[in-house]
Amino acid sequence: MSIFLIFLAGILFLAGILFIKPRAKQDKTWKTVIIWTLYVIFFVIACMGVSFVYINASVGHVKATSTAIFLFGGISLILAVVLARVLGFIGTKKKDESLQA
Amino acid sequence: MSVNNKEKGSQQEFSVSRRGFLKTGVAAAAMGVMGAIAAPSKIASAASPALTYQPAKGQWSKLRPEANYGGASVHYVENNDQWLGTTKLVGKIIQTDEKDAGFSLALAGKLGDKAKAGFLSTVFRHPTVLPFADAIGAISAPSMLTGEPNPNKLQIPDPEQMSQHIKDFAYYLNMDEVGIGNMPDYAYYGSNMAPPLGAYLVHAVPMDTPYGKAPITDKLPYVICMSASMHLETWLASTGYDGISNAQSERCYHASANAAVIMANYIRQLGYHARAHHFGNYELLIPPVLIACGMGELTRTGDTAAHPRIGFRHKSSAVTTDLPLVPDKPIDFGMQDFCRVCKKCADNCPAQAITYDDDPLPHNGYLRWNTDSNKCAAFRCSNDEGVNCGRCVKVCPWNSKEDSWFHRAGLYIGSKGENASRMLKSIDDMFGYGTEEVTKYKWWLEWPDLYKYDVNATLKAFSATASAVPPGV
Repeated sequence: MSIFLIFLAGILFLAGILFIKPRAKQDKTWKTVIIWTLYVIFFVIACMGVSFVYINASVGHVKATSTAIFLFGGISLILAVVLARVLGFIGTKKKDESLQA
Repeated sequence: MSVNNKEKGSQQEFSVSRRGFLKTGVAAAAMGVMGAIAAPSKIASAASPALTYQPAKGQWSKLRPEANYGGASVHYVENNDQWLGTTKLVGKIIQTDEKDAGFSLALAGKLGDKAKAGFLSTVFRHPTVLPFADAIGAISAPSMLTGEPNPNKLQIPDPEQMSQHIKDFAYYLNMDEVGIGNMPDYAYYGSNMAPPLGAYLVHAVPMDTPYGKAPITDKLPYVICMSASMHLETWLASTGYDGISNAQSERCYHASANAAVIMANYIRQLGYHARAHHFGNYELLIPPVLIACGMGELTRTGDTAAHPRIGFRHKSSAVTTDLPLVPDKPIDFGMQDFCRVCKKCADNCPAQAITYDDDPLPHNGYLRWNTDSNKCAAFRCSNDEGVNCGRCVKVCPWNSKEDSWFHRAGLYIGSKGENASRMLKSIDDMFGYGTEEVTKYKWWLEWPDLYKYDVNATLKAFSATASAVPPGV
């Protein structure tokens, strides 16, 4: 199971790179670096969270499992939203519409 | 391009020249040779015969080339006249007598009638206890522990490799951890009880047998210490002081006792002196021996030594010997700093026997936390909500973990000083480790009615007859 999860994580990591690559290139180099850094941090925390929750749930640590879902899930979600906003996946359409109006 | 030309072209694309084929072959062969050379020596040497079958120099052992400290950051320290590992020696250590140990005092009635009656009735208050006690009793007689060595000494390798071999033998006996040390003289009892305390604990003698003092004469220069770790899942499901608590200890006492008896006998077969020490018959104190063997540091709970990987969730036995060995160095993995800030055991001790002091205090020539071992023993004997107690074993952050990447990371953090330890303690509390009860592992049966005992009836029954009379009837 763990081997499959590691494989899946690798595939998702590469898929994520392909997904954000067209939008990652920014006018300033430091912005591009920040985007990729955010992506790596987001991915590492999300994977750590999945692993942590999976192991604790299988052992039966109820409090550890629920706390980890909120902790790792929360951090991952925040980072994902920030990343999506920076990359323009969310929050840009409205702006365009208002400009047109 | 015609069809024939296409076929011809594709044939050319997939063809391999003779030179290319040879190059690939040479490269593959070279990689194979390099792989064989670089493969671990344990594979290469496994087929070697007899005394040429040796572990590599500098390894922990052949079966475990590196010591497994479970992710903790471990430094080696020294034993000298001022330190035993990380325990500071502040004066002359007076050897203690076995009759002054907590359970001995309970047996003598010095911890109150309830504790004495509880001690006497322990093995009858949960049906898992007596089977282990009987099995330990069967290997507690002096004839099982010591004897004359084989007069024809067998050929053995040099001390370093012999040490590795002895460790492998311990792992072969299914021990979880093993270490070798110089035997500190003060770790021997000043005198043994005759019959020894263990004989009463395992009901090898009638409970009303009077005991005397027996001097310790069988002193040998080296000590091999072996630990069997208690069943983690059972602790996860237990309160720490219910019916299975005593069996948790007894199972490991039994396993480590078997290993000690066999190890000592094996060494005698090699032609060297060896004496097994286990729960049923000790001539030494296990905690200083564990420290001397590089298997732990003293903890807040008093005279218990925690290993970096399994904490003090283990029971240990020892073999003293004159077999030429190379002692392991004592270790420092920051347990003193961790215990200074954690205090989780003190918070959870049902007997409130564990101190909240920040620092260890002088006690019989060394520094240790001033935990009240008599209070602990009295509670363990007289606990009538279960049998005995191991709540501190269950809750300690070093003890209560399965093997996983984040717990190994946690042990690394916990071994990095007070601030890191404080952080680990907070994380441990936040995730609820130690204090939870994971009921899916509760496999054993409980008979709460058996926990209660009638103090007067028990004392009367045992003062009148031998050991086989159940209490409270």
